[in-house]
Amino acid sequence: MNCNDCVEKLDQYVDRELNNTEVLELKRHLEGCPPCADQYEFQASLKRLVKVCCDKDTAPAAFREKLRQILL
Amino acid sequence: MAESPARTAFAEEALTHLDVLYRGALRLTRDPDQAQDLVQEAYVRALRYQHSYQPGTNMKAWLFAIMRNLFWDRFKGSRKEDVSLDDVGEFVLYDKLRDEGAKPEADVLDKLAASEVVEAVEKLPPLHREVVLLVDVEGFSYKDAAQTLGVPIGTVMSRLHRARQQLQRSLYEYAVESGIVHRNGTGQVPQQ
Repeated sequence: MNCNDCVEKLDQYVDRELNNTEVLELKRHLEGCPPCADQYEFQASLKRLVKVCCDKDTAPAAFREKLRQILL
Repeated sequence: MAESPARTAFAEEALTHLDVLYRGALRLTRDPDQAQDLVQEAYVRALRYQHSYQPGTNMKAWLFAIMRNLFWDRFKGSRKEDVSLDDVGEFVLYDKLRDEGAKPEADVLDKLAASEVVEAVEKLPPLHREVVLLVDVEGFSYKDAAQTLGVPIGTVMSRLHRARQQLQRSLYEYAVESGIVHRNGTGQVPQQ
């Protein structure tokens, strides 16, 4: 696997969408290629950041209760 | 009104996914009141069409699909409106930061305010925003996201890729505006 192949698959790698063979190939490349490893770390950090920042909101308690009264 | 035990059990299970639906609705509508209206309507519809849900399948995805379909029908008027998917061109924040001497690149992410990240997500066109919400925020697989959105997996992948490009561009602009990085290679990541 070269760097272009690696970069093309980084989205799928951070999203855990590669099969076992592809994961092994990509991991092997990352171990021997610091620039690609840095890029992977960056993309994984960005994905974590989006999740952490966007999953804080929860439904207000009053709204939850209102729904329960409507639905149950 | 007395409800059947089966209907009550279905509603109880559906309500365990309330936070996911509310978060999604909030990010799509960008308005707490509209989000509540949207989620309430989605739940009423879900119970009305309870028979179309196949037990054992992904209820969260099924509910999210109802909610986002309502969003497009009710809030956007037409699926063809406000769906600008302008190609922003390849933009890789990592490359940009590396070229501009911001080392280590990932440190820049630590300095971004959560509110700016949320704003960057909310600025995405809705068709891009919803795939980020499903895959990045709620952890859906490409397959489940494709099923929820009613598109092929390849479309999920391409929308996700473009959404991330747009997201990185927005975050870069914010990082420059707030002095976290400086354009044209003159900057470094300030140490806290």
